[in-house]
Amino acid sequence: MNLWEHITTFFSVENYNLFVISIGSGILCFAAGVVGTFTYLRKRALIGDVISHSVLPGVAIAFMLAGVKNPVYFLIGAILSGLLSIWIVDFVQAKSKLKPDTILALTLSVFFGVGIVLLTKIQHSGNAAQSGLDSFLFGKAASMSLGDVKLFSIIAIVNIIFITIFLRGFSMISFDENYAKGIGFNTTFIKSFLALLTVVTVAIGVQAVGVVLMAALLITPAAGARFLTNSIGRMLLISGVFGFVSGWIGVFISYSGNGMPTGPWIVVALSLFTLIAILFGRDRGVIARWKLRKSNNIKINNENVLKDIYKLADKGRNTLSIAQIIEKEKYRAPVLISILNRLEKNDFIDQIRGLVILNEKGKIAAREVIRKHRLWELYLSKYFQLEADHLHDDAEGIEHVITPEIEKHLLKLLQYPEKDPHQSEIPYE
Amino acid sequence: MIENPIIEAHNLTVLYGRKPALWNVDFSLPRGKVIGIMGPNGSGKSTLLKAIMGVATPTSGYTKVYDRELDEVREKISYVPQRQDIDWDFPASVWDVVSMGRFQKRGLFKKLTSEDKDIIAESLEKVNMLGYSKRQISQLSGGQQQRVFLARALAQQGDLFLMDEPFAGVDISTEEMIISLLKEMKDAGKTLVIVHHDLHTAQSYFDWLVLLNTRLVAAGPVSEVFNDQVLTDTYGGKLTTISKISQELENKEFPIRHK
Repeated sequence: MNLWEHITTFFSVENYNLFVISIGSGILCFAAGVVGTFTYLRKRALIGDVISHSVLPGVAIAFMLAGVKNPVYFLIGAILSGLLSIWIVDFVQAKSKLKPDTILALTLSVFFGVGIVLLTKIQHSGNAAQSGLDSFLFGKAASMSLGDVKLFSIIAIVNIIFITIFLRGFSMISFDENYAKGIGFNTTFIKSFLALLTVVTVAIGVQAVGVVLMAALLITPAAGARFLTNSIGRMLLISGVFGFVSGWIGVFISYSGNGMPTGPWIVVALSLFTLIAILFGRDRGVIARWKLRKSNNIKINNENVLKDIYKLADKGRNTLSIAQIIEKEKYRAPVLISILNRLEKNDFIDQIRGLVILNEKGKIAAREVIRKHRLWELYLSKYFQLEADHLHDDAEGIEHVITPEIEKHLLKLLQYPEKDPHQSEIPYE
Repeated sequence: MIENPIIEAHNLTVLYGRKPALWNVDFSLPRGKVIGIMGPNGSGKSTLLKAIMGVATPTSGYTKVYDRELDEVREKISYVPQRQDIDWDFPASVWDVVSMGRFQKRGLFKKLTSEDKDIIAESLEKVNMLGYSKRQISQLSGGQQQRVFLARALAQQGDLFLMDEPFAGVDISTEEMIISLLKEMKDAGKTLVIVHHDLHTAQSYFDWLVLLNTRLVAAGPVSEVFNDQVLTDTYGGKLTTISKISQELENKEFPIRHK
């Protein structure tokens, strides 16, 4: 089958089951992304890992007691042992001198270890119903029953609704818990409720991705979403959507390729989204930062060349040849020509037959750079007792950084000075 | 004894583990004054504010505000926590943070009304930050962050302001702005309780002082309390004695009081 056939079969009515399961898996991952946003904002990424590993013994004990694979029993077992793990972490932290990372690592290993021991015991017990129980390790959403998926989806939706209702409380304890308590919010209740929602989400999420990868489902979408927005509401939404699409993709791939696991593919898809967000985020993204650096470089080059042309012109030469400028500049000829062309395009200079003429707008801009340079030199010499020969290099860099507000501040601070420390005149408009 | 005190602490003890942060502290504070809480690092200043706000739970003793239980008068108290305690990289705008000042009134679920929004804008205006409403809080300078926190407290519209180190790490213009704001608030009949660590400015900022070093060293009008002896007691010799005892309690698991 080629990819197109896979996709058409995937959406065909005959594959109603598969369709429901993929949507269900998407909803589970949506809920994980939303709840996980608070885990991320409260810097509790490791708690997510602890809870997910800690549900395993609960699932195993539920099976041992019931003797059948019943998702409701599993869920109850998972929630109880997840809650127990959080309680132990909090209790030990309050009562001992152990560091938080030690407590988290210990709790995680102990619960997971016990879970694996119990699973192994079940596997050797000869109970025929136990087959497939190990799918809790890596998840197998594609093989969930229709009923399970519907049940889990409903729980996930209820979780999402609660988060929406409690958005204010959850945001407050994540941002400023003391203040929330100070204005009379019942922070103990809010925190416990958030913990409960987290545990429930993890308990249903492990059905899709398994205990080992569950923490990624909580934290990865939030980490990516943070790069795309500065608003908590939008962050929750983006995080949820990342989760949904990844959950859906995971089931699709696991259905298309024989024996492909669901959980790892969901996490791969999530990581891809997060990587894209880290690269392309508007303010914080790697590419945005790179562009910013690039535009700074352009500004620095423009200002340096303008300044030098102005200084040359000040010596009585009104038209300059490119050769004269190159003599003074550290740039190579082709670079300088492209800078000059850009300056002409921005209407700072005119170029006629290889000659450069600084126009009025260019003169004003050049004077601004020189003024900032000399103001900074004066500021340094006045407040930091630097030797006169140490001032110039510093000011060469900072003259491009000074904003109009900082310039105003400097002018006021230095009381509109006339001369810099080298007795050169400070040019005003 | 002060007539009709705004805050009263009685035998207040707060333990962190076994280590006392505050130890049998007793005082009452008058209304309508600017009150400084001072002492060396780790002397329990922040803990005192937290105990008054119900954020830290006393191990024994109590504090009362307006001679009532905290929950009855909470709406009258505006709280400015320490700026450094918060992660300023949180996804929120200046407006979002100041809005929190109205949550006390509206609770967990009720929407903010247009009246609330007027109050938020007015509070931002008072600290010269209205123009920064949409600014992401991680992009603010230290002084601007402090102004945002003050605006949030103003939006609570309390009568009693508890401020934890509002002058720490702010620029001169913010400091001047805060001082004139404090004057304005005092003239409007508000009581201001301010945790502060700079001895040089204490006399000019405050009417009343509480000097702490885990235990209460002195409390009273600045003119009576601010003298060399008291300052030595607060910042000098006693510090080592109290901290040595605290260390013993902590290390050897002694109880602070034998029952």
